[in-house]
Amino acid sequence: MNKSENLIKHIHSLVPKDRKVKIMNVCGSHEHTIAFSGMRSLMPQNLELIPGPGCPVCVCPESDIINAIKLSKRDDVILVTYGDMLRVPTQQGSIRAEGKNFRMITSPFEAIAIAKNHSDKKIIFFSIGFETTTAPTAAILEMGIPDNLYILSSHRLTPAIMEILVKDADIGIDGFIAPGHVSAIVGSNAWNVFSEKYGIPTVVAGFEAENLLLGIVDILRQIKEGIAETTNVYSNVVRPEGNTQAQRIMHKYFEVSNVNWRGIGYIPDSGLELKSEYSARDARKVFELKEVKEEKIPGCICGEVILGKAYPSKCKLFKKACTPQSPTGPCMVSQEGSCNIWYKTN
Amino acid sequence: MKKIEIGHGSGGRLTRDLIEKLFLKYLDSNELKPLEDAAYLRFENPNIAITTDSYVVRPLFFPGGDIGKLAVCGAVNDIAVSGAIPKYLSLSFIIEEGFLIKHLEDVLKSIKMTSEAAGVKIVTGDTKVVERNKCDGLYINTTAVGEIVTPLVIENISDGDAVIVTGTLGDHGTAVAIARNEFDIDASVESDCAALSGLLTPLFDIDGLKWMRDPTRGGVATVLVEVAEKTSLGIEIYEDKIPVRDDVRFISDMLGYDPLYLANEGKAVVITSHEAADEILNKLRLHSLGKNAALIGRITTKHKGVRLRTKIGGERVLDMLEDDMLPRIC
Ligand code: SF4
Repeated sequence: MNKSENLIKHIHSLVPKDRKVKIMNVCGSHEHTIAFSGMRSLMPQNLELIPGPGCPVCVCPESDIINAIKLSKRDDVILVTYGDMLRVPTQQGSIRAEGKNFRMITSPFEAIAIAKNHSDKKIIFFSIGFETTTAPTAAILEMGIPDNLYILSSHRLTPAIMEILVKDADIGIDGFIAPGHVSAIVGSNAWNVFSEKYGIPTVVAGFEAENLLLGIVDILRQIKEGIAETTNVYSNVVRPEGNTQAQRIMHKYFEVSNVNWRGIGYIPDSGLELKSEYSARDARKVFELKEVKEEKIPGCICGEVILGKAYPSKCKLFKKACTPQSPTGPCMVSQEGSCNIWYKTN
Repeated sequence: MKKIEIGHGSGGRLTRDLIEKLFLKYLDSNELKPLEDAAYLRFENPNIAITTDSYVVRPLFFPGGDIGKLAVCGAVNDIAVSGAIPKYLSLSFIIEEGFLIKHLEDVLKSIKMTSEAAGVKIVTGDTKVVERNKCDGLYINTTAVGEIVTPLVIENISDGDAVIVTGTLGDHGTAVAIARNEFDIDASVESDCAALSGLLTPLFDIDGLKWMRDPTRGGVATVLVEVAEKTSLGIEIYEDKIPVRDDVRFISDMLGYDPLYLANEGKAVVITSHEAADEILNKLRLHSLGKNAALIGRITTKHKGVRLRTKIGGERVLDMLEDDMLPRIC
């Protein structure tokens, strides 16, 4: 018997027989592995693996995207951002469809190169994502960026949204698989709050199917023993204290703020904006961006999908009007979006 | 004469020059040489298979091949997987004004080499030139005809049949993706572009050979989904049996591509009866293009559609992908 088979047997023997167990992952890459390895088909009937808010472009507020589109229409501006961001739909279309001067980049360092090559333009880096993408943006600020480069920060904090999730009785989470890449930065200690304050077993796991299975085993062990701990089965990459250097520069340039999560709403202290000392680099301030009122996409239930309250297949538009080719909602756009993953594996 | 001019496609003197000085230098079959409006062909067998395809690959030259080799292989392979022996080929060029003659010559050389190796004759052709920016360098259309040895129709397929691939998957798609230099990846991947007639014709007389297809755009997954739809049968694929080259695996993981959906230009999906599977695998593996042939799945009536049995023993659906991961792959 190979290792995964063993772990799966273990999962079946550990799972409580008398009730449902819900384990949530909060990372698009975890959901990718779970779906593409067919892991759900191997789980006991009463064990649900729920995809949570693991897709950064899915939660990026419509208002920021619309502002990005508007900025890209200025002749003196080149907007640069990650590829998936270009395709996210809004009431005013996507950056790719409606924007004018925009470029795709794969790392913030490319933004610097573009700024240097276009010294007559203002380069606006629409910087989105969780802690994993915040750190590189902080890193370029620390290195020093050209005067014509501005940051439109739409960063989000993973622990903040997870706290909303644990408090929501409708979802009823029994265990968290904490995101591997984010943990490498914030450290496994960052999740202690979930086991200590909320009594939720939380395990940091990597991205191989086997490692995720190991994480699930550990959550079930804790449930069986009636305890809640934060443990780490990805310890070759994730340290308890995380990457302190990255944390230090993130705190140097960014501060927490109340921000909107698309389809979910405002969550206190759940986003990052540039500190006021760096206002001169903050596209929001320099270009006096105004908040645009978010409009619900008719029929799209992305908000519920992100919060783990519904599977993509519950959406009436899924695989009909909404496909990866022409996504109606944000969760169908990126390879980390639950609807996109569901589309390819179900 | 360094670059293609509009006059090269006019049908006048310049066209004549181009054909005589360049095309005939490399393409010189007896059928083509008279330069008549149509070529006269002879067949020993009255049952003919015919196929046509257009090639618009970007870039025109990539590791392991170029648009010329691709055009010949594509046509030859379509005939070979139909259970026929490729015999004759037509070639039509649509060339952009300003295209370097040297590049055209390189393409012609590779057409000559590939067609000779595959045993097909180029018997007729055409050249058109369009203005600058009205096409991307060079497009080629080919039509191939071949003599049918054993008609392979999809109705042959039945419960229990074996699904074989003749080698590693996704090589061409990955090669072209990398050759476009759109990704920050410092690697070179060889396309599998090859004519398969030599590999596949020896299978024609094996009882139990049921159906074949060359999995180009959309890859093996797309071919299998089509088979499942047309036959109303199910297909089970074993993830751990799918042959993928290490470099292709590494890069496709990085780019988020699945080799099952990536284009191949020198591979075939072969469906055989359960009994004939071993003989066919052995025969394939004897040929240099079939070394990595593998049985990757089975036809089943237990479910409909294509399902992948994953490495950890899980199951998931394989569906057709709507988004073209890489346009202009061939
Ligand atoms: S299928 Fe499309 S419309 Fe429906 S929830 Fe997902 S992204 Fe929104």
